[in-house]
Amino acid sequence: MSSTRTGAGRVLVAVYGVFALAATARSVVQLVTKADEAPLAYALSAVAGLVYIAATLGLAEVGPAPRRLAWAAVGFELVGVLTVGTLTVLDPELFPDQTVWSSYGAGYGWLPLVLPFAGLWWLWHTRPVTR
Amino acid sequence: MDGPLPLALIAASLAFTLVVLVYVALDRTPDWGLLGFAGLIELGTLVLLVMAALEVGDADIPGAGAITLFGYLLAGLVLLPIGFLWSLAERSRGATAVLLVAGLAQAFVVVRTLQVWTS
Repeated sequence: MSSTRTGAGRVLVAVYGVFALAATARSVVQLVTKADEAPLAYALSAVAGLVYIAATLGLAEVGPAPRRLAWAAVGFELVGVLTVGTLTVLDPELFPDQTVWSSYGAGYGWLPLVLPFAGLWWLWHTRPVTR
Repeated sequence: MDGPLPLALIAASLAFTLVVLVYVALDRTPDWGLLGFAGLIELGTLVLLVMAALEVGDADIPGAGAITLFGYLLAGLVLLPIGFLWSLAERSRGATAVLLVAGLAQAFVVVRTLQVWTS
């Protein structure tokens, strides 16, 4: 079994780490200062932040079952960005304020859309070999 | 905050990213020169934080804007050190490339700081 935190995995963990910091910090500021303006959007931002934290820890191999954590978090992230992305494209008024996953992450250079595919590919690429 | 420092920091962070890109291309591991370059950016970010703290009282920035501003500036202080810690723990091209992410994120943080300050 290859490690998820070595080689190219190190860059992936760094990118996930930046997103974890950015999404979590942004949602905390939004929830503390203006929660009543767009509670659903800000709660969703907080969920995205937690998902990025879980993916970062899983890929960095922190905790008792990091690979399982990473699969779950990155899988959830893919479903999240596709669902929220589609909903916000179909109905732009659904969320009064932007979330990291709005319009498939267009506000973040589409990275939120690319990242889960990169994460899933990396987890598959480094999967344990069964004999 | 109105002086040349923010723009100089953005330029320096992008230049740092380009230098790292050369290191990655040549498969060179980070050295003292790169660490010194990052140290200068770090020092500039610290000066920017102090300037913002001194000038925020006179600037017309609402509470949420001020929290965001200092959030970005504090992030700007930790990005490069954490990037180096994560990068230096392994000697590989991928580990060096971690500094690309840190350099770009550093430039982005200063851009956002400037946007919050002028908005």
